[in-house]
Amino acid sequence: MVQLGSCLLRGRGGNVVIRFALGGCTNRPFFRIVVANSRRPRDGKYLEQLGCLDPLPNAHGEKVAGLNLERLRYWLGCGAQLSRPAEKLLGLAGFLPLHPMTVTAAERLRRQRQREQQPEASPADSTAGPGTDTAPGTDTAP
Amino acid sequence: MLPALRRCRPGPVPLPALAAALGPGPFPALCPGWSPRAVPARGRKSRHDPPAKSKVGRVKLPPPVDPEELLVVLERYRQHRLVLNALRAEFRAEVLQKKREERLAAAGSLEEQEEHRRLMAWNDEENARQRARREERLRKQEEEEKRKKLEIAEKQARKMEAFVEEKEKEVLQLQEEAKNFITLENLEARIEECLDNPRNYNFAIDKDGRIVKRTVLS
Repeated sequence: MVQLGSCLLRGRGGNVVIRFALGGCTNRPFFRIVVANSRRPRDGKYLEQLGCLDPLPNAHGEKVAGLNLERLRYWLGCGAQLSRPAEKLLGLAGFLPLHPMTVTAAERLRRQRQREQQPEASPADSTAGPGTDTAPGTDTAP
Repeated sequence: MLPALRRCRPGPVPLPALAAALGPGPFPALCPGWSPRAVPARGRKSRHDPPAKSKVGRVKLPPPVDPEELLVVLERYRQHRLVLNALRAEFRAEVLQKKREERLAAAGSLEEQEEHRRLMAWNDEENARQRARREERLRKQEEEEKRKKLEIAEKQARKMEAFVEEKEKEVLQLQEEAKNFITLENLEARIEECLDNPRNYNFAIDKDGRIVKRTVLS
């Protein structure tokens, strides 16, 4: 079996990244928050595991994640990059500031919900109005 | 960013069907100047497979971009990156501080450092002492050699003097003897003299060089 590890890492410079490594089974994903060289495969050899994330909500409706903040600070101090989902997770956890796209997505969702509610409200108002007008009309008609 | 902003700018709609298709969308006031993509993004098929018949009239367009939202999002990104870089600098300083402390701790506690300094001072003193002794020895050696050289030179000089004296003595002696030499001028006078004073050498000598007065026969 050919070991490609050192050849990968010595060809052109890679960098250290903190990202999610996918594990688990079919229809049951599970992420490990991992520090690795960026040119390794997603689930390949990593430098250190800094935590885990269960993307499926548990019995109480929570998505559970665990983080080793001490080692995270160390690796960030050593100059590790973050992948986008890792940044978003850390923003939600409160360790880093919230990612802009988290806020933007929330705003868009809110706007969409409002837009959905308004057409429901306005047809309901418009139907209620003529409905009340016609009802006494029909009642009054003999 | 620029392509996104360009997409927001109102421009001529390429197809009339587009305007109808857009209809009362989220941004009805805008007729963005998009151009449909020339080459579709790759999926299951390779670049050499032709597109399907159901996709003949299909026009794929990039997602619509709201310029206000875009500016707001860019501002948020800028601030986010500012905070992130500040945090990274903070963590870097922390890591360096920890490394420095570890190094100092590994170097040893206060007493060890004191002892180290004392020992280094003692070592320096020893070195100085040895150096002094060595210099003393070297100086003495040099003096010895100089003295010896002087002696040899003096001896040589004396030998030369003695030699010269000997030679001078010989020369003087020769000069003295030269007075008795027979020269061409003296020749005839000396011959006359010898003939006038005959000497008798008819004697024997014993082993010690004394003249023998008595012979065995007498």
